[in-house]
Amino acid sequence: MKTEDLIASLAAEPLPPAGPSLERRAAGGLAAGAFVTLALFAVVLGPRPGLGIAVSDPVTLAKTVLPLVLAVLSLGLVLRASRPAVPSGAASRIIWAVPAAVFGLFVWAFVTTPAGQRLADFVGHSIHVCLPSITALSLPILGGLLMALRQGAPVNPVRCGALAGLASAGLATAIYSLFCIEDTPLFYGVWYSLGILIVTGLGAVLGNRLLRW
Amino acid sequence: MTDRNDRWRDLLRRANRGEAKAYAQFLTEVTPAIRTIVLGRSGRDAGSEDIVQEVLLAVHARRHTWRETDPVAPWLYAIARYKTADAFRRMKRGGHQVPIEDLAEQLPDEAQVDPTAARDLGRLLDGIDDRSAQIVRAVGLEGQSAGDVAGGLGMSEGAVRVAYHRALARLRRLAAGDEKEDETRK
Repeated sequence: MKTEDLIASLAAEPLPPAGPSLERRAAGGLAAGAFVTLALFAVVLGPRPGLGIAVSDPVTLAKTVLPLVLAVLSLGLVLRASRPAVPSGAASRIIWAVPAAVFGLFVWAFVTTPAGQRLADFVGHSIHVCLPSITALSLPILGGLLMALRQGAPVNPVRCGALAGLASAGLATAIYSLFCIEDTPLFYGVWYSLGILIVTGLGAVLGNRLLRW
Repeated sequence: MTDRNDRWRDLLRRANRGEAKAYAQFLTEVTPAIRTIVLGRSGRDAGSEDIVQEVLLAVHARRHTWRETDPVAPWLYAIARYKTADAFRRMKRGGHQVPIEDLAEQLPDEAQVDPTAARDLGRLLDGIDDRSAQIVRAVGLEGQSAGDVAGGLGMSEGAVRVAYHRALARLRRLAAGDEKEDETRK
């Protein structure tokens, strides 16, 4: 087919009905996924006893707030990454404040924890719950987000998928932290971060497969 | 650059409101820019015009990802670069594989070698199945558009194009005396 003919036939096609915007679709996918995740959390894990008192300690509160901040920032980034040539903006720099804060908290905990106690705090007693839970709780949200993003046009599907993984892992980790009773950054600073990285990597792999267009 | 951006923005905005003329104008005006990007990557490859068309199809399919406040040129160039890189990756992996819905839009113009001009067309049309024959009559003889025929038969436009293309290929082989009447796909 000649290019002029192609143009003529494309222009002659009736206008597709205006669907919901990408942002609205993503919000829908996120909400649906988060609903499943919350249900899963409520049924399988549930909040820790004495949650209200525990979060009055800012170091404990940080393990919920930091992943939440990460989720919000990466959600903004993933939406920008899903349209061609939209610059990622300030959020792509601000987001590094989250790992910086985690590192700061880790160093602070290392210094203030007696030498004999450090290893025990670091290993904790729930790595085998923490990592699978963060991954499992992320999956519904990641699925919902990726479904919505398929309507987008990411010019870097791997990056877009990784950001979707980061956003869903941030949200899932914030939810998981309400169950987890390991309150030292020596534990959560390492193992939460590892869980989030696993889901981010998973998002990158899935993005490479699902977000091509 | 800014002039062009404003102009394209205006055209695309009108196109998104349903002005087919503005849309045709937009696609026509951006094609040379797309071609520059494709040729920059491919040199003067024989297949480069196919990639240009792939980019146009991508622009068409993803035009909802452009917001009226965004500049058009960077959006367009990003799509062109993505699709060009994608096409090269596919070619490197071996074989030029195009998804069927893209293929349907890209089928070659059948006008040059037209088996429907054969004297005994009626006999040839008896040699293929009824639906294909019907499509060939409508598109090839009565000059209806693929879209119209698609509506009448309850098929998608792309499916009609594919069916038409295959039917012509079979007719051509029938006309050439090759009586083996099998599927043309390889």
